[in-house]
Amino acid sequence: MNEQERLFRRIRAMQFAQWELHMFLDTHPNDCEAAKKLEEYRTKTAALIKEYEAAYGPMNETSANTSRWAWITGPWPWETGEEEDA
Amino acid sequence: MWVYEKKLQYPIRIKNPNPALAKLICAQYGGPNGELGASLRYLSQRYTMPYPELKAILTDIGTEELGHLEMVGTIVYQLTRNLTPQQIKEAGFDSYFIDHTTGIYPADANGVPFSAGSLAVAGDAITDLHENMAADAAPFHL
Repeated sequence: MNEQERLFRRIRAMQFAQWELHMFLDTHPNDCEAAKKLEEYRTKTAALIKEYEAAYGPMNETSANTSRWAWITGPWPWETGEEEDA
Repeated sequence: MWVYEKKLQYPIRIKNPNPALAKLICAQYGGPNGELGASLRYLSQRYTMPYPELKAILTDIGTEELGHLEMVGTIVYQLTRNLTPQQIKEAGFDSYFIDHTTGIYPADANGVPFSAGSLAVAGDAITDLHENMAADAAPFHL
C-alpha cells in the first residue's frame, strides 16, 4: 500500500466511524459523548480530505472544476480489481 | 430522497472468477434473507413507527442495506468476469447464465426471483421489530 492508498484508507475508516456514530445517536440522542466524538471525526475527516486533495487531486469528481462531466468517468465502484490481473 | 456516493462502503477487489460461488452469493443479493429484502423491509416499516428514534434508525439502516446490496452485487459481478463457456458449465452456472448471462439479477441461489413475500410490514411497532430481529438473525448456511 502506498502513501496515497494509506491516506485514502484512513479517510474511509473515519467516514465509517462517523456513520456508526450517526446510527448510535439515532437511538441514544442524549449521548453528548457520542455527539462530541462525531464532531471530532467530522473535523478530522475534513482535514484529511484537504490533505489528500492537495497532494493527489480531487477525491470526488464533483469537488473540482473539470473540463468535462467527470461523473461519467470510470472506474465505477464495482469495476475494481481486474487491473491487477494484467 | 437519496444521494448516490460513487464508492463502495468497503472496497472489493476479486481477481479470480468463481461462478459456483457467485451462484450461492446471489442469495445475499435477492434471496429471502438478502440485502434487497432487508432494505425494503426497513424502509417500508419506518413510516408507521411511533417514535423518532425508530423512524431515524430504520431510515438509516435501510439506507445502509442498500450500500450492502451494492457490495454484494459487486462481489457477484466480479466473481463472474471473463468466464469461459467451460467454466460456466462446469460450475453449474449455466442455469443462471441462460436467462441472465452475467447480469446481476435479484434472485435466490436457485434462481427464484426476489419476492416481497419474504418480508413483512405489519404497521405495528412491536410486530415489525420482531420481524426485523428474526430476519437479521437468519443465518446463511454454507
